[in-house]
Amino acid sequence: MRPKRVVVGAGKAVAVALVLLWSLVPIAFIVVSSFKPSADIFAVPPRITFSPTMQHFADLWTQWRGFFTGLLNSAIVTAGATLVAVVASTMAGYAYSRFRGGAMAGTAVFLVAVRLLPPIVITLPLFPMVNSLRLNDTHLVLILLYSTFFVSLGTLLMRTFIDQIPRELDEAALVDGGSRLTILRRVIMPLSSQGMLAVAVFVIVFAWNEFLFAFIFTSTRAKTAPLFIAEMMGSLDAFDWGVLFAASTVQLLPIMLFVLLTQRHLVAGLTGGAIKG
Amino acid sequence: MAATTPRTLASTVASHRSRNGRFRIPVKALPFLAPVHALVLGVIVIPALYVVWLSLTTSTFGKAPSFVGLANYVHSLGDPYFWRAMRNTVVIVLIVVHVELIAGLAMALLFASGLPARRWLLAAVLAPYAVSEVSAAVIWRFLFDADVGPVTVALNALGLPSLEWSVVPAHGLLIIALLSMWLHLPFTFIILYAARLAIPTHLYEAAKMDATSSLQTFRYITLPLLMPAILVAMLFRYIFAFRLFSEVWLMTQGGPARATEVLAVYLYLDAFRFSAFGAAAATGWLMVIVSLILGVGYLWGLRRQMMGDAA
Repeated sequence: MRPKRVVVGAGKAVAVALVLLWSLVPIAFIVVSSFKPSADIFAVPPRITFSPTMQHFADLWTQWRGFFTGLLNSAIVTAGATLVAVVASTMAGYAYSRFRGGAMAGTAVFLVAVRLLPPIVITLPLFPMVNSLRLNDTHLVLILLYSTFFVSLGTLLMRTFIDQIPRELDEAALVDGGSRLTILRRVIMPLSSQGMLAVAVFVIVFAWNEFLFAFIFTSTRAKTAPLFIAEMMGSLDAFDWGVLFAASTVQLLPIMLFVLLTQRHLVAGLTGGAIKG
Repeated sequence: MAATTPRTLASTVASHRSRNGRFRIPVKALPFLAPVHALVLGVIVIPALYVVWLSLTTSTFGKAPSFVGLANYVHSLGDPYFWRAMRNTVVIVLIVVHVELIAGLAMALLFASGLPARRWLLAAVLAPYAVSEVSAAVIWRFLFDADVGPVTVALNALGLPSLEWSVVPAHGLLIIALLSMWLHLPFTFIILYAARLAIPTHLYEAAKMDATSSLQTFRYITLPLLMPAILVAMLFRYIFAFRLFSEVWLMTQGGPARATEVLAVYLYLDAFRFSAFGAAAATGWLMVIVSLILGVGYLWGLRRQMMGDAA
């Protein structure tokens, strides 16, 4: 028995190493490289010890000041989209949890069915519409797009969470003369904050990273951080890997830390609470 | 993007049918439903219907559209670039979805077999989920850079040929597929892992008492019980992989010479570079139709095959 166990253990260790090599090493590579002096970035084999420098971040600040406006735009759009998506999803989730009937089920199916449309198809008619409404290159258009593309999932998620709150609670409040809106605010929302957080995590990760819609609907005023990085990649003649790594690191680290901290909620949202911890 | 969707949806429909057959939305529910439905109607449904109209017209941005019937569809279907984009899309989807499922399944079984520091390993595996397509493209462009990329250098040092992804179209498609898998494997994995953890332990204990081999346990317990989750993950990944745009745009822009274009890139170029909104709209509807056929048809076949096995 014992030799077999050793073999299995070694096999597992190799498998875990491969998994880490695949998922973590590429990220670590650019984050670490953004602190390396330019000469060390291309060293073969990759240098693990080096004297860290903030030079690339300083260059980023002086050469690509716009990138930091882009970060601000990303933050504004992310905050707006999260607020809209969470509030709208919670309201609809409450309705789907407490009211029943064929029409309710039908509209729920409809919410999911519309998500089968590829987003790029929607950009075709939206582009002239957005232009004629003079919403082109505004934070608002991205906020509406990002939140809309998450309310289907958000609504179903919130319904699952609100289903776990006993109906007796809101019925008691109804008898006491509270309106449904008050019940939602005073009873449902505090008790379903876990679900709201799960929805928020999804929207935040999506909105912070999104490329396609931002690429099509923004040009200067509302241009988000990912677009600046794409632009840096595009200016091939002045290809400066160090600055590119610095920009990617600044864009990536906050959301990475956020996902790490809220991992439980993300996983709970994705799996309907099947995995704990 | 969530596994909960189909399941909760099914239970929504079921519970509603059993409770109440009437087909009417309660008036009191309306104010609560209004925001979500206003967003979905205004941003997705009405524009989507407008696409149908657009696809039947010639319309350049800023000009009044004129009706041309099915000419745009005929044009797209007769365009060799359309078919090349279609072929590239299908190839990438088939590779990405199947490799992801196999790798995700293997990882789910690895994690379920008991690992030390499971929480941290889980976080590490989920990390690419937080990385934007743009940052991921920076990473992959650097790793596989023709001159300085560490992977290129390592491959050359081992006497292996490196990926000339910016020159050779097949290599370009391969690196796009790799990048896409890297970004989406966490999703596929977590669905399968959750499903694996949901399999009752006593089934495995019973199998152990019957001295079943681990291969048999996998074949007769794990795989059949994971099938629903595998199908869910597969359907979601089919639908999402089919829309692939950013990975291609950020790596090759569809080049060299339009050889690595996928449908979404073909559509984008038609609309925003050649200002042919009508033709692009036709491509858009063809995309919707093909993605539905691909996803639904494949799942239908798999399901029948499974039922054949069980009988």
